[in-house]
Amino acid sequence: MLDYTNVITKEKSYSGLQMKEIKPVMKLIIRGKKREFLSAIGKSLNLLLPTEPNTSSRSEKLSALWLSPDEWIIYSNEISNPDTNNYETENLLNKKISNIGLGAVTDVSDQFVLINMKGDKIFDLFETGSPFNFNIFRDKKGAVTQTILARIDVIIHNQNQNEVNLFVRRSFSQHLFSWMNDSASRL
Amino acid sequence: MTKNLRVKTSKYIDETYKISFKFNGTTYYGYKGDTLASALLANNIHLVGRSFKYHRPRGIMTAGSEEPNAIVQLHKNSSRTEPNVRATEIEIYEGLEASSQNCWPSVNFDIGGINNFLSPILPAGFYYKTFMWPASFWEKYEYFIRKSAGLGKSPTEPDPDIYEHKYVHCDVLVIGAGISGIIAAKTSAKSGFKTLLVDEKPYLGGSTIYQNSEHFKINNQISSSWLDKEINEIKKIKNLEVKTRTSVSAFHGYNFLLARENLTDHLPLNQRNNKIRHRLLKIRSKKVINATGSLERPLIFDNNDRPGILLSSAIEKYANLYGVACGEKNVLFTNNDSAYETVISLNQKGINVEAIIDNREEIDSKLIKEAENNNIKIYKGYTVVNTSGYKRVNQVSIMQLSKDGQKVIGTKKSIDCDCLGISGGWTPAVHLFTQSGGKLKFRDEDQVFIPNIYPSDQISIGSCNGEFTLDEILTTTPKTLKEFLNLKKTDYEDLEIQSSFNKSKRNIWLLPSDKIIGKTKPFVDYQNDATAKDIKLALREGFRSIEHVKRYTTTGMGTDQGKLGNMHALGIISETAGTKMGESGTTTFRPPYTPLTFGTIVGRNVGEYFDTFRKTPIHEWHVENKAEFENVGQWKRAWYYPKDGENMHDAVQRESKAARDSAGILDASTLGKIDIQGTDASEFLNRVYTNAWSKLAVGKCRYGLMLNEDGMVYDDGVTTRLGENHYIMTTTTGGAATVLGKLEDYLQTEWPELDVYLTSVTDHYATVSVCGPNSKKIVSQVIPDLDFSDGSFPHMSFKNTKIGKIKCRVMRISFTGEHSYEINIQANYGKSVWEKCMEVGKEFNITPYGTETMHLLRAEKGFIIVGQDTDATMTPIDLQMDWIVSKKKYDFIGKRSLYRSDTIKEDRKQLVGLLTEDPKEVLEEGAQIVADIKSPIEMLGHVTSSYYSPNLKKSIALGVVRGGKNMMGQKLIIPMENKKINVIVADPVFLDKENKRLNA
Repeated sequence: MLDYTNVITKEKSYSGLQMKEIKPVMKLIIRGKKREFLSAIGKSLNLLLPTEPNTSSRSEKLSALWLSPDEWIIYSNEISNPDTNNYETENLLNKKISNIGLGAVTDVSDQFVLINMKGDKIFDLFETGSPFNFNIFRDKKGAVTQTILARIDVIIHNQNQNEVNLFVRRSFSQHLFSWMNDSASRL
Repeated sequence: MTKNLRVKTSKYIDETYKISFKFNGTTYYGYKGDTLASALLANNIHLVGRSFKYHRPRGIMTAGSEEPNAIVQLHKNSSRTEPNVRATEIEIYEGLEASSQNCWPSVNFDIGGINNFLSPILPAGFYYKTFMWPASFWEKYEYFIRKSAGLGKSPTEPDPDIYEHKYVHCDVLVIGAGISGIIAAKTSAKSGFKTLLVDEKPYLGGSTIYQNSEHFKINNQISSSWLDKEINEIKKIKNLEVKTRTSVSAFHGYNFLLARENLTDHLPLNQRNNKIRHRLLKIRSKKVINATGSLERPLIFDNNDRPGILLSSAIEKYANLYGVACGEKNVLFTNNDSAYETVISLNQKGINVEAIIDNREEIDSKLIKEAENNNIKIYKGYTVVNTSGYKRVNQVSIMQLSKDGQKVIGTKKSIDCDCLGISGGWTPAVHLFTQSGGKLKFRDEDQVFIPNIYPSDQISIGSCNGEFTLDEILTTTPKTLKEFLNLKKTDYEDLEIQSSFNKSKRNIWLLPSDKIIGKTKPFVDYQNDATAKDIKLALREGFRSIEHVKRYTTTGMGTDQGKLGNMHALGIISETAGTKMGESGTTTFRPPYTPLTFGTIVGRNVGEYFDTFRKTPIHEWHVENKAEFENVGQWKRAWYYPKDGENMHDAVQRESKAARDSAGILDASTLGKIDIQGTDASEFLNRVYTNAWSKLAVGKCRYGLMLNEDGMVYDDGVTTRLGENHYIMTTTTGGAATVLGKLEDYLQTEWPELDVYLTSVTDHYATVSVCGPNSKKIVSQVIPDLDFSDGSFPHMSFKNTKIGKIKCRVMRISFTGEHSYEINIQANYGKSVWEKCMEVGKEFNITPYGTETMHLLRAEKGFIIVGQDTDATMTPIDLQMDWIVSKKKYDFIGKRSLYRSDTIKEDRKQLVGLLTEDPKEVLEEGAQIVADIKSPIEMLGHVTSSYYSPNLKKSIALGVVRGGKNMMGQKLIIPMENKKINVIVADPVFLDKENKRLNA
């Protein structure tokens, strides 16, 4: 058996802000342009992919974030078992999409670290390191943006009032989390 | 003994809160609300510094950020020391220690003051003229000139403070919280715009907030009371954010602005710990309203720089806002009505005014009448021709002006005084507007530059737009706002305004004197000691452009950037040269508007956060096992693993020997990995790599070389065919992001017809590379279910498999020339796989090796590193890799360039192996390669990689040599500083040319 070693091991709590890594979470990048691609995804997952830029959709089990006109990230709303990396959704999409040439399905579960943030100071923290204008974003449930935070590429998914999921590449995640804690300590 | 010049109380000063501070070692007292300048003036101290060039005694001259003279060093000899702090801007706090700059041994007795007496031989351009010869002496001169250059002392210890950046987005930014800014912010926010109002001062209201005169009323209330109520109201508006102590330092294009928010500089030192000192606001605003106000102009006459000479408006502010008298015998010298406002304020406070000198002959306004009614002597049509008093002005000499204002007539009169207020009218503060790219126009009637053409969605209101009187501001501003914000109505339509200010002004840039100009010192730039005489000299010597005159005389080049005197310099130039003011333009206004600390600019990008770093999934193991790290791009990669005090050389020799003799293990997780899917994936690879891909079987790997359109090698790596329409490409560590960007660019713009999708998976996989003769024994124990026989799993192939329940891929590929396997597994399992390999590899002395050993091993095998052995001028043919360029393919990126006359010529620099005559001699990377050392020496090339190989027991090197391909066996020379090293050109593959080890 192999051990599962994630990067961010501690939950951090500040006044108005809590941050923790959620793991293991299945994440897939799916890409495709054809109409059949969109309908096959819809049928297979019972989830309509968002076509409006920077928005998301959600089913009971999955969330889908718009990344570009032919690119989405799908991630599981629940954590999976670290003893296996065999994902039902990935297998299903391989069968219905990539194996028949409708588009691409790529497992990126460990490409991104998912940091869940809660509290009313989330956007105060973002303002110290991200040039993105969060004025409308912060009140728009389901909004998605790909921007930079502390010079590092991130994907931010507005879950709810005072709750966001932030995706960062694994190799950058320790540096970013340290920076976020440093910034949070002074909010 | 110092006197107390505190007069009637001011509501801005809390006299119940006494603060002690030190100036030049002596303890003084002030109150909460004081600036260092107001507190010093209350203690009757005017002399605070020495000028830069002549070391003349200088005093506080203004009450704002335009201050040229009163610049001090804070907290000398401590980590918090800061030079060039304007005494007029720093609020006092308990424990403040300030000292004068540019003087030795003290500000009262300064040896450098001798320069003042030598001034006749120190004209503008003195250094340029004097230190020209002998030219060879420059380095000696420079030593002394550099010693005397600069103002203040920079800190030598690390900055203990914390700084931060913040991004701000708003609909409307209002810069300046004077009366027009307050009106604008309230109007904007109440109309639903998300509004930010900033002001550099700690209080709101600008100069109107202390305008306590019956002569200025709004809706029958004294202007300051009216404004006070407005300020109280704006504090309640929800979508209005107000930031005081916040100075906009830069206004860039497209309404992007930088502002410095000062958070702790007014606090005692012991209250600053772990607080952010300055915050740099990066503001993007849809609309910007400039309400930056205006700066009072000085007047230019002989000896206009003595301590005790202040701007008239500064005297008024010190009296009204801080309750401080600047002198007991005050004289005002003016060319407009502003000085009379000061006189009335001083009268109200019971401060004595001896006389007013007004250069206008016929003047009439209510303000002037009130001064006359108070029995203050007014000298109409007079000018000051000189002042006296070395460390404090004690007398002014005045004479009558001729009708044309060009000369003085009559007899000289003297008036005793201890303070002289000067008022030359007002200059709109258009600095930020012009920084943003705005174009100015010159208004002849009152000789001011005002905003004309706006480059972005912005507007100027109030005195920065040339509206100087209360009635002008209050009638124009609401109209301007209505149009700018597209409103139907504002709250300020029918105001009843009473303003006694008469706009007449007699503008004379350089006031005449009874002496010839050569005998006078009329200062234009106070900080840099540039006089009107210097400017005229520059013109005589042929300088015409204001930019040239500025640099020759240093006018406007001090820390104050000439906020006071630049207009006069322009005026004197245009008068002397006979040009029109509007035509010559102004000097360029550059950010920052006021000085910024380096901390503000840097923010939190210091220490741990100076640069971003990336870590592999196995990083912690390398740390635990004492690896030394090297930065590769942003990655931290294990460099070597020193054992028992080994140095790098010894560690690398040990690691590389182990890899060849038994087994080595490398963390290769940093290599870029791109997942390629789509029905046209093979065709796509055919186009981006030089070799052919269509026939690569599923399950096989192939090395590829990627070129730029110019035919030069750009990146390389192994790509594996995972399925019919599915590949995984590896790139160099440093090239991963740019390769992905370039390929995506081609797909989107050049080949949109291809059905191909790219996804980066660099971070998704950990890559554990095990090499050496025993690698198979180790990996087969880690993955016991997999068939490792050469028939089933030959070199350059891959297998999908599982370790336990975890899916992974194993590639049999090699960058060392040894039999080796790369296990690619989801990153969070990477460390565990590595540890398993270490565990089962123990019996084979498995040795972790770092990037240095990897470089040596691949060099033995003659494998190139893109970026080390290539430098964007190398084609595959130059690298002796002709075999990788397909002759059959219709096209690939860079193909056409490989057939240019320049790329096919024989004498290009080509990659060769180099062997030293003495096998122990290791060449230096970068060393030049020549054939003959007779001068002129022709450089043939240089060494790109060089190592001592413990496996071959000799020194080996790769290098590029002009025409090297045809020089096999030839002797060449590497000339070093103390010796020349003989080398022989060799095959770049030093080890196992037949690939026996790979296939073993």
